[in-house]
Parts: sequence; C-alpha cells; structure tokens
Amino acid sequence: MQNYDSPDGSGKPARRVRRKYEEGKSLSITSLLDVLTIILVFLIKNVSTESARISAEAGLNYPSSITNDKLLEKSGATPVKIFPDKVLVGVDGLNFGNPKDLLENAQKRIDISKYLQLEANDIFKTEGHEACLVVQADSAIPCGYVTEIVRIGTDAGFTYIYFATLADPDWLKNTSLSSTQ
Amino acid sequence: MARFKPSDVRQQKSQTAPQEPNLVPIMNLFLTIIPFMLMMVVVSQVALVALNFSQGEGGGGGSGAGGGGKTDTEKVEIHIMGKGFEKTNQFLGMEIREGSLEKARIPAVNEIYDYVALDNAIKGIRASKADLVDITVLVHPDVLYGDLIRTIDLCKTNGFSQVHYTAPKVQYYD
Repeated sequence: MQNYDSPDGSGKPARRVRRKYEEGKSLSITSLLDVLTIILVFLIKNVSTESARISAEAGLNYPSSITNDKLLEKSGATPVKIFPDKVLVGVDGLNFGNPKDLLENAQKRIDISKYLQLEANDIFKTEGHEACLVVQADSAIPCGYVTEIVRIGTDAGFTYIYFATLADPDWLKNTSLSSTQ
Repeated sequence: MARFKPSDVRQQKSQTAPQEPNLVPIMNLFLTIIPFMLMMVVVSQVALVALNFSQGEGGGGGSGAGGGGKTDTEKVEIHIMGKGFEKTNQFLGMEIREGSLEKARIPAVNEIYDYVALDNAIKGIRASKADLVDITVLVHPDVLYGDLIRTIDLCKTNGFSQVHYTAPKVQYYD
C-alpha cells in the first residue's frame, strides 16, 4: 500500500506536472540548397574548358578588341605567352627565355619550332582536329617578336593563329577624337 | 465458416513523422565545388582575334602580302609605320594603299595612332567595295602589338573577315 503525502493534508496524491519541452527544430537548409544549386548551375555554364586553356595571365597587359572570334570546334590549342621578360610556350608553360632571344638567338627559335611541331603533331593525331596557336602577348611588346612567333608557328603546322585580347566593345569610343574630323 | 486467426505478433509500426533526406553530404559537396569554381571564373573576358593562315592565305613574317588572288585594284593594304620609319621619313602613322589609287595617310597625333580616322577610312573602303572581304595589314617590327590588334580589330568590325597579317622587311638607314 502506498502512502501519499499530500502537501495540503487532504490525502490526495501530489500531482506531478511534467514540464513540456518543445523539441528543437532542425535548421532548414532546403532554401540554402536551392540557392547553391542555382549558383552551381550558373558557374558550370560559365566555366568552360576553353577558358581553362586560354586564361587571363596575371602580369600581361592584354590589348582590347571588339572582335571576339570563337575557337574552332574541333581544334587543339597551344598557347604562347609573350611577357615583357619571358616567353612561355605550351600548356605547361615552358620558359624559352627572353622575347629578344626570338630575334637574336637562332637556337632558341629552333627549340621553339621543334616543340611546336611536336605539339602540332599531337593535335593532328586526333582525327579532324586543327592546330591552333593562341598568342597571348603584352600590348607593349613590339610586333617583331609576335611576327617571329607567328612565323615559327605557321612553319610548325599551325594554320589558325588566334590573338588573345580583352573584350572591350567601347575601346574605340573611349579613344580621343580624330584630328581629321 | 472459416475464421482466420489473427497474427500472433502484429507488427504495428508506430506512426512517426516522415524523415527528411540527409542533405549534409550534398551541402559539403556544394561548399567544396563552389569556391573552387569561383576561383576559376575569370572576371575579365578573354576574347580572341582569329587569323587564318591556311593555304591561299597570307602568312605572318613573310615579305609577300597575302591577297588570296585578288586583283591589284581590289587589294587593300594598311601599313602601320613605326618610330624607326618616323626617324627617316618624318612620318608616324598609317598609310592605306588601294591599288592604283593615291596613298591615304593617317598621321599619328602626339605619337598615338588615330584609330577614329582609320575607322572612318575603312568604312569608306567598305562603302565603295561592298563585296571585298580581304584586307592586308603590314606592320613594321617596332610597332607595338596593341596597335596591330586594334588595327586588325577595326578591319574585322567593318566586315573584312579575311585579315592578312604581313610583316615587311624593314631596314632603316640613319
């Protein structure tokens, strides 16, 4: 037999009241997930393999252009980056020395030519692919160096030469007015 | 009348609230991919100016101009003179040669090439020769690469889809 002690002395058992704790609600991350999905789709759309091959190089001051030609669909692109103080050739960016060497050092020209021929042959192994040379040069580089690279490239078998620029549809508007007008 | 005995162990699932799918792994994946892709995004768009050096087209570095078999009257050349030329000829700027027509000179203003005048001149050529798509740009070796690109760009924007890039052999005598 149980004895209940009543606080008020009435004999009734003391009523125990359990405090109700609300269950903690888990943070809803569905909306966050939606936003992230949208961002991801947007980024995937913008990031292409082409931009991976032709990325803007820090330290290169690109010239501006209105024209924006597309790379050939079936093509293999080999970049040549002409900095004011160095020339990097190929996807791996092999350093072939100073731009002046292009005009003054015959051995350097031969080395670059051999390397570009290997690259072009690799591209031609893939059926139907064209070899494209993408020249990324600083806008303050004298054209003599660029001409030499183009000559070496065309001799090596690159039939399509692309010059990398920065897209700027307003560069002509921003230039000073013609003196003849 | 057949009667079926109720099952001994009647499994009655307690009715619980439907569980939400565990989104934590997906979130982890997203949080890894998105910063990586943001790093890859290039804010400034790299454009390309194409030149075709396949058979029959003009080549770079050679002294011969690529004309694609055009007759002399249809051939249009833009010569960009450098500072070396200025020393010997007292002229810095561009020269447009159109077959037998007189050379049109566009002098540089304060050692800056006049692209607005060049644009107008190319527009004039386009108006007179609507079907012409070939144009040759001859650049002296001391001209800056940026100036070459701007000239090619103006040719392309004015409808000259086949721009031939040629470097003349230049020797300056003091």
